[in-house]
Amino acid sequence: MAGGLIDDRVLLERIRGGDASGAEELFERYAPALLRFASRMLSDRETAEEVTQEVFVKVISRAHQYDGRAAVSSWLFAIAANACRDRRRRDHRASVVPLEAVAELPARGEGVEARLDGRQRRDAVRRALQGLSEEQREALVLARYHELPYSEIAGILGISVGAVKTRIFRAVETLKARFSEGETRWNVVN
Amino acid sequence: MECRELTNRAIDRLVGEATAAEREDFDRHVADCPGCAAALSGIEETWAALGSDPDAVVTPEFRSRTIALLSDEVDRRRIREFRPRSRALQYLSRAAALLVAAAAGFAVARGGLRPARPGAATSAIAGGAAARTAPDLAENPRLSNVAYRTDPDGRVGIEFDSTTRHSVVGRPDDPEVSTLLAYLLSRNSETAGEKSRAIELVSGRYGAGAGAASPEIVRALAATLKHDRNPGVRKKAAEALASFRSTPEIRTALLEALANDPNPGVRLVAVEALAASAREAPDAKTIQSLREKAVDPSENGFVRARAASALKAIDL
Repeated sequence: MAGGLIDDRVLLERIRGGDASGAEELFERYAPALLRFASRMLSDRETAEEVTQEVFVKVISRAHQYDGRAAVSSWLFAIAANACRDRRRRDHRASVVPLEAVAELPARGEGVEARLDGRQRRDAVRRALQGLSEEQREALVLARYHELPYSEIAGILGISVGAVKTRIFRAVETLKARFSEGETRWNVVN
Repeated sequence: MECRELTNRAIDRLVGEATAAEREDFDRHVADCPGCAAALSGIEETWAALGSDPDAVVTPEFRSRTIALLSDEVDRRRIREFRPRSRALQYLSRAAALLVAAAAGFAVARGGLRPARPGAATSAIAGGAAARTAPDLAENPRLSNVAYRTDPDGRVGIEFDSTTRHSVVGRPDDPEVSTLLAYLLSRNSETAGEKSRAIELVSGRYGAGAGAASPEIVRALAATLKHDRNPGVRKKAAEALASFRSTPEIRTALLEALANDPNPGVRLVAVEALAASAREAPDAKTIQSLREKAVDPSENGFVRARAASALKAIDL
């Protein structure tokens, strides 16, 4: 997630100086990714939005703590990961995201059956993701959906590269087993 | 490569972490091993299936709501910088003033300095040729060019023009000073800047338990919080009230702001102030309002979250 014309660090400087436009620009750059991350880590879209807001509010209050050792994007993901963990600990509500709450592009040209099939599959994928442990899901989501290298994921989560690989390995093994079970049931029903 | 390494190696390849040599080694092994080829197909299908989970997108409503919140938060942090000095600093500055006075007294006693002429002790804060009393505020005079000064002893100097230049100096709890401040807050401030400066002074002088604000200042701030059109000014008024020792009048003003203020930043200040007040002395109405906010689906997410976490911190 490259910064763009103005370096991310300059935006943090602006925020430190009390300039709201720095926070706005940082939101434009990173809110889409952070919202995607939070929505996969939490129980529903509304909570994901709240946590994404919380991340940016924390950035305002902690801008002076950024030490420049990691990229700003990694720092933001680290704040988001911690915020998601805190929220899940506080809120033990349902762990399944109702898919209707997730904004989707309309499926053009799909028939009812195909749409139903697609929706069921998406539902199954989200349920399977939610069924992973929090640690496995964090690592997998950052690797699969955000395409971050192991070393960056390790920095974000504060663990070793080896631990990142182990978590992703276990997540993939678990999902593979779930999907093959689902496939069997699917075939029996149809 | 060995068969037991398949999943790890396959993931390395899928996430782009495998080197060219590792990819070659992997492909060679899979080509010769039907078991690993079947397992790889399962891993690749799993990886591809994850792609069917739709991405959440930032809606225009979420964007505008959050940007407003961030702007408020940046403003709020700027306002915090005007908060009164800590108790320790106040004591230190008083001690420093005493030391300076003692040293000056010693110097005078030794004849090193001539004593100042009577009345000049206030000249550092009071204007030289200015009238020393306020005009009759019942006539609703327009006070312009208002300037505020403070000294380490906690006195306040207010200078302004009405028919002539006035300079009123005294402690914040002097009736003349507090009446004048309330007047400046409630009736005289035509611009947001004027009003903000008056609020900052009031907050700095009476806030953080420095002293009890007079009822007329509380009334003026409550009226500002309720009626001012500028959300930044309303928020400053809420911050000032929040910094005072809690009273039923202050709680009522903050409860009303929490229920009715259209700006989430103002409501956030109200939530925090009410929560702090309820932690010290739980009040049924305050707790009920926080509960309602914590579950109100139409409330701003951040305000709601703060209300919920505030309730958890209150010993019910």
